[in-house]
Amino acid sequence: MNWLLDLPTLVKVLGVTSCVFGIALCYRLIRVGRDSLSRDKMVNLRIASISALTFNKLLAFMAFIVVAGMSVSIANYHVFSGVKEVRSCNSCHVMRPMVNDMTDPSSETLAARHFSNKWISSQQCYTCHTDYGLAGTLKAKMDGYRHLARYTTGTYTEPIASPSVYNTDNCMQCHAGTRKFEMVSSHIALRKGLSDGSLSCLNCHGSAHPTRAQRTPGHPDYNDLMKQGD
Amino acid sequence: MGLRVEAWAAIIAFITTAAFIVWPNPYFMALFAFFAQPLFMIVALLYLRRVFRELRKKDVL
Repeated sequence: MNWLLDLPTLVKVLGVTSCVFGIALCYRLIRVGRDSLSRDKMVNLRIASISALTFNKLLAFMAFIVVAGMSVSIANYHVFSGVKEVRSCNSCHVMRPMVNDMTDPSSETLAARHFSNKWISSQQCYTCHTDYGLAGTLKAKMDGYRHLARYTTGTYTEPIASPSVYNTDNCMQCHAGTRKFEMVSSHIALRKGLSDGSLSCLNCHGSAHPTRAQRTPGHPDYNDLMKQGD
Repeated sequence: MGLRVEAWAAIIAFITTAAFIVWPNPYFMALFAFFAQPLFMIVALLYLRRVFRELRKKDVL
């Protein structure tokens, strides 16, 4: 019974069940033509008897409103919980260089150091990019849908580039106030620049991911960075 | 109420949604987000339009 506790599996089972139920209801609505329905023909529901016409109307309400709404809600939950996982980011091949580099123990990029030292134990992409993509704010969600549309229609060029500057607040939500952070004198001296966004952590701590040049087709590192992971 | 068109459209939307839930890749996600969801919305609106028409015909509304 352990699988019942696994939320993603439960969501999958519920979602598929709800879709199959919806299909069955719709199929019945198609099979039962308008002519075969009459007010005289009764359907026994154990607790009450209703006319076949009323029963069909109830089925239509269930199929088009209740079950459809349930399926859409479950699928949307699946979207917004799923996009927080690293494997979800990795399913778009343009993201593979970031994920391959992050999981490479020999890499010295900031993301790889956070990963290999387990400074972030799970949902590593989402933890550092909470203000981006389908799991973020409304604007971030809109950007996420735009990127999804561009990726699936192939209307993008490699290497991909972020349209905005990385938000230092994402680093600060973990680092600010920690003893290790406060003990570094330059952090105190640069606090104003870090908080108003004129300075980035990346200025001193190096690149978070492989450079644009490395992610450009034809670069010697490109094939290694693009290799299919597990 | 003849709801064949709505039922067929809903079946297509349900199949697309189920495919995305089982195989969550970017292509099925895009199909769900940009095709199945709007299709469900259209089906619901068409169905509600029929319901309101029938209620109006019977002078309930």
